[in-house]
Amino acid sequence: MQAQSQENRIEWEGALVQRAVAGDTRAFERLYREHSGRVYGLCLRMTRDAQLAEDCTQDTFINAWKALKQFETRSSLGTWLHRIAVNVSLGKRRKATPVFEAQPEDEDGTLGGWTLETPVEERELESAIGALPDGARDALVLHALYGYSHGEAAQMLGIAEGTCKAQLHRARKLLRERLNLEIN
Amino acid sequence: MTGPKERSVKSLGALPEAIEPRRDLWPEIEARLKAETPPTATVLRSTGTRLGQLRWLAAAAMVASVAVGVWIGRDVVPLSAQVPGSGKVIPPQAAAPQQTGAVDAAFVSDPRYARQRAELLQSLQARLDAMPEQARAKVTASLAAIETAKKDLEGALGKDPSNALLQELLINTYQDEMRALTDVHEASDPGRGI
Repeated sequence: MQAQSQENRIEWEGALVQRAVAGDTRAFERLYREHSGRVYGLCLRMTRDAQLAEDCTQDTFINAWKALKQFETRSSLGTWLHRIAVNVSLGKRRKATPVFEAQPEDEDGTLGGWTLETPVEERELESAIGALPDGARDALVLHALYGYSHGEAAQMLGIAEGTCKAQLHRARKLLRERLNLEIN
Repeated sequence: MTGPKERSVKSLGALPEAIEPRRDLWPEIEARLKAETPPTATVLRSTGTRLGQLRWLAAAAMVASVAVGVWIGRDVVPLSAQVPGSGKVIPPQAAAPQQTGAVDAAFVSDPRYARQRAELLQSLQARLDAMPEQARAKVTASLAAIETAKKDLEGALGKDPSNALLQELLINTYQDEMRALTDVHEASDPGRGI
């Protein structure tokens, strides 16, 4: 049932993409309405700045419009938009503030799940994620929050998979310290 | 951060993926899109791709539509100047349109539509024969363009039955065909003139 629904969604989106490629901005607006929340959510978590995240979201959809003909309708539009959003956010963030990224401490890839032993307020958790260094936060947001694999997250961020795993390890360590909680 | 509600979570995956922006960003995006070159221009140059093929089909349907439009513009001479036709034309498929699984336009499956279409097709050749040669050539070209577009679209829909764009184009083409047939019929009605 869920697979069918997912298939229908891909087909429905594919039809909208084709109309948008033909110049139909109404179709593109429907795609925007469908995906803007997830795109903005990712941009906001990556940039930690609402204004910058809005700019990134707009640029993401502008870039998507320009490159829409290259999109393969059988794949996930959400993932494709996220790839663009990551590129845009990294670029804007670099311009906004030069980041001196500390190198990962180790290459431990055995992170296990991302479950807290004790529940915390969403706001508190978002705040702790927002306080992470950029590299660790990027990897954490893509992998633990949006569910991308290590390989996918690494590809989106333009880093090696091992580096991505190390960043996740670092993120978990820092979150544990900040929330004073165990992350299993 | 904006957006998170006051609720407790035990997993990072329980955080909402989507956060709504504080304002609607679409109007600014739309304004910028209008300043950009539509993606269509590049698509027309690409060949062999799926989207390129769709554009070709859309173009074929558009040609059919324009052909009908030209003819509907009454670019033919009055019926009173009838000249018996010399050549036979290939009429649109006399059979009721094959209802491709994905085409769910109510009118295609409506028996009244099928009946009316069949009646119009029945008298088509006679009405074409009664037209001046120049007019007949234009009408024939229009109907042939519609027929080609229909076949191409039905073939493409056979491979991609759920494609909404193809469905829409095919329905438009059926409508164009009906309009053309009705116009041929009305135009050759005694006393009506073209």
